[in-house]
Amino acid sequence: MALHHVQSVTRPATLEEAWGEKEKWGKAARFLGGGIDVVLYTPPSVESLIDLTGLGLSGVTQDVAGITIGATTTMTEAIESSEIRAYAHAFLIDVLKEVASPLQRNVATFGGTLGSAHPWSDVIPALLVLDATLILYDGAERTAGLEQFLADRARGRGTGPIICGIRIPRALESSRGAHAAFTRTAFDVATLNVSCVAPAGKSRWSDLRIAVGGTPGLATRLRDVESAAVREAMSEEGIADAAASAVNARDDARASGEYRRTVARALVARCLRRISEEPEGNVG
Amino acid sequence: MTITLKVNGVSRSFEVEAGVTLLELLRGAGYVGVKKGCGTGDCGACAVLLNGRAVNSCLLLAARADGGEVLTVEGLAVGERLHPLQEAFLDEGAVQCGYCTPGVMMSAIDLLAHNPDPCEEEIREAISGNLCRCTGYVKQIRAIQRAAERMRGDGSG
Repeated sequence: MALHHVQSVTRPATLEEAWGEKEKWGKAARFLGGGIDVVLYTPPSVESLIDLTGLGLSGVTQDVAGITIGATTTMTEAIESSEIRAYAHAFLIDVLKEVASPLQRNVATFGGTLGSAHPWSDVIPALLVLDATLILYDGAERTAGLEQFLADRARGRGTGPIICGIRIPRALESSRGAHAAFTRTAFDVATLNVSCVAPAGKSRWSDLRIAVGGTPGLATRLRDVESAAVREAMSEEGIADAAASAVNARDDARASGEYRRTVARALVARCLRRISEEPEGNVG
Repeated sequence: MTITLKVNGVSRSFEVEAGVTLLELLRGAGYVGVKKGCGTGDCGACAVLLNGRAVNSCLLLAARADGGEVLTVEGLAVGERLHPLQEAFLDEGAVQCGYCTPGVMMSAIDLLAHNPDPCEEEIREAISGNLCRCTGYVKQIRAIQRAAERMRGDGSG
């Protein structure tokens, strides 16, 4: 049996019920989105799984503020969403198609991906450059920027809220984005990955956003590089060099920090080139 | 816990422990066309359709599928009449050792249900989560193309 230690799997119908179940089991509880990570990585201390797919949190909606992706929306559902296809020249769809295989994308959810927050995630850097905000529930609904959510999670603070949805702002709907990941094989996790977005209608790189993941730490925005790109009117090469210097690259079993910085330079340059060369009207 | 599934069109209840995967449940219930390969979602031998989409049953808790509709390779044929995809696999010689074949077929069934006229690239993408160590994929891709033609009814295939 895959998970001998699991005693209970529940599928609450309301957020209140789900949160109540979490409070009942404490650290022995784990929320279940698609459940892939739960099967692969759940520690033996977890005894209760709370399946969030009964909460009605699936689907993609659009309003004046932007797009909201329900937390239990699968990667495949997002790829097939006309709203996401029309947003930022289908940037997110290009990213999602790089994630694992269709068999896993049919199950993997946005909430599960963000809840797991793997350093190699391709989705997280993409959502970081899109200024994503999370709708959370921990007894009451609240919102938090994705960066703040990840920082709280890393510090062990604020961990455990139910992720209800992800909002990406309308302000970036005309942007152009590019994502590049360095992997050893097609389905390998990224040794390093880069997402870049440049809002349309601005002078070149004046509002560029860059996020780098798999450093081997969790993805972060390179805000100093983004500012310097404007302040110093940097070239693409200059931005790539600055990103390579700024990235918090370290050694692990996959690659050295020095190697990662070299990869970061190449991938940032590749993303910027794709953004600048992408013809108008190409929506992937 | 009790889980209710419609498997290959038949509603059934299963008594399982909470941590059992869908793969374990199905094989334990006799659906041995669902193969166990890697157990980590890499090989696709365990693929089944859950609510119309192909999934790795090794990575899905059975409880997560509760109330859903599952289609395994055993559910493709109607009586003695093979599914057009199965016929095409035979016609193209797309089966060698056969261990990956049920999983590849379930990925192809998902594809053809959502895209009746896929190009080769789309077929390759659809079966990209299924590993085959024998065929080199070429005959499998031809078989899926042939099945698509037959299912659309636009040629003799």
